[in-house]
Amino acid sequence: MGARDPHHPLDFLTNPERFMAFSRWAAPMFGAIAAVLALIGLVLTFAAPEDYQQGDTVRMMFIHVPAASLSLFVYLCLGIASFLALVFRHALADAAAVACAPLGAAFTALALATGSLWGKPMWGTWWVWDARLTSVLVLLLFYLGYLALRSALEDEQKAARAAAILALVGLINLPIVKFSVEWWNSLHQGSSTLFAKPENRLPAVYAWPMLVMSLAYLSAFGSLWLVRIRALVWRRKARALALQQAEG
Amino acid sequence: MHFDFDAGKYAVYVWPAFALTAAVFVWMITDSLASARRWRREAERLQALKEAKK
Repeated sequence: MGARDPHHPLDFLTNPERFMAFSRWAAPMFGAIAAVLALIGLVLTFAAPEDYQQGDTVRMMFIHVPAASLSLFVYLCLGIASFLALVFRHALADAAAVACAPLGAAFTALALATGSLWGKPMWGTWWVWDARLTSVLVLLLFYLGYLALRSALEDEQKAARAAAILALVGLINLPIVKFSVEWWNSLHQGSSTLFAKPENRLPAVYAWPMLVMSLAYLSAFGSLWLVRIRALVWRRKARALALQQAEG
Repeated sequence: MHFDFDAGKYAVYVWPAFALTAAVFVWMITDSLASARRWRREAERLQALKEAKK
């Protein structure tokens, strides 16, 4: 995790105290916001009317789309953190990258699974090898590859460097996922949310639950990301202390 | 406000999707908190050992 002076085993964070002080209140705050928003989002989800075409399956949109959005957003966070860790050798940036990878993998797997459960009644199939679905599967493989690489190499610095390079390579997949439905023919519908053409946008009765659930997912990710970074800071501190005791 | 929990013929798809989402969130929350708690305790234990040796 970044270069550090071997004579100062605790000198592994630029400013761990400030991060720990911030995350100590920010993590539970984001968690509480996520819980409240999820509650409101679920109320709006089950108060929304059936869609005239999709019937009750429309409710899956409010859990599937935020998971899919987060799968991309978390990978962007992974890419930025990996870049900072690789170029500036910032230990907290490396911890941020490691911390968000399992969460991103979980959101991506969730997007694929809920999409499959939505696809069967609407498309008549659980899976098709079209551009959107395949590129999201590739995104999941990048997450899993990152995690596998981190744990495969014994030398933590080598593992961090190799995984960071893999994460940066994977960034090229993000625009492919995002624009796949425009660049190629796909069963998957195009965007109907924030950046969609006005005629394609969701009506308010569906847009509100979507917005609230998306913010709930985002807040939950923010909270869990901070908690996982804190865990990694504690882990490095514990390892440094164990090393000190072994030496002394 | 009227709530519609009857997914009719789509229930077999809708409810597993919600159950799966809940399960993934439960895993993310418990795994994150357990990991933070485990390493915090370990660091505090080692710190206490270090201070006891002084």
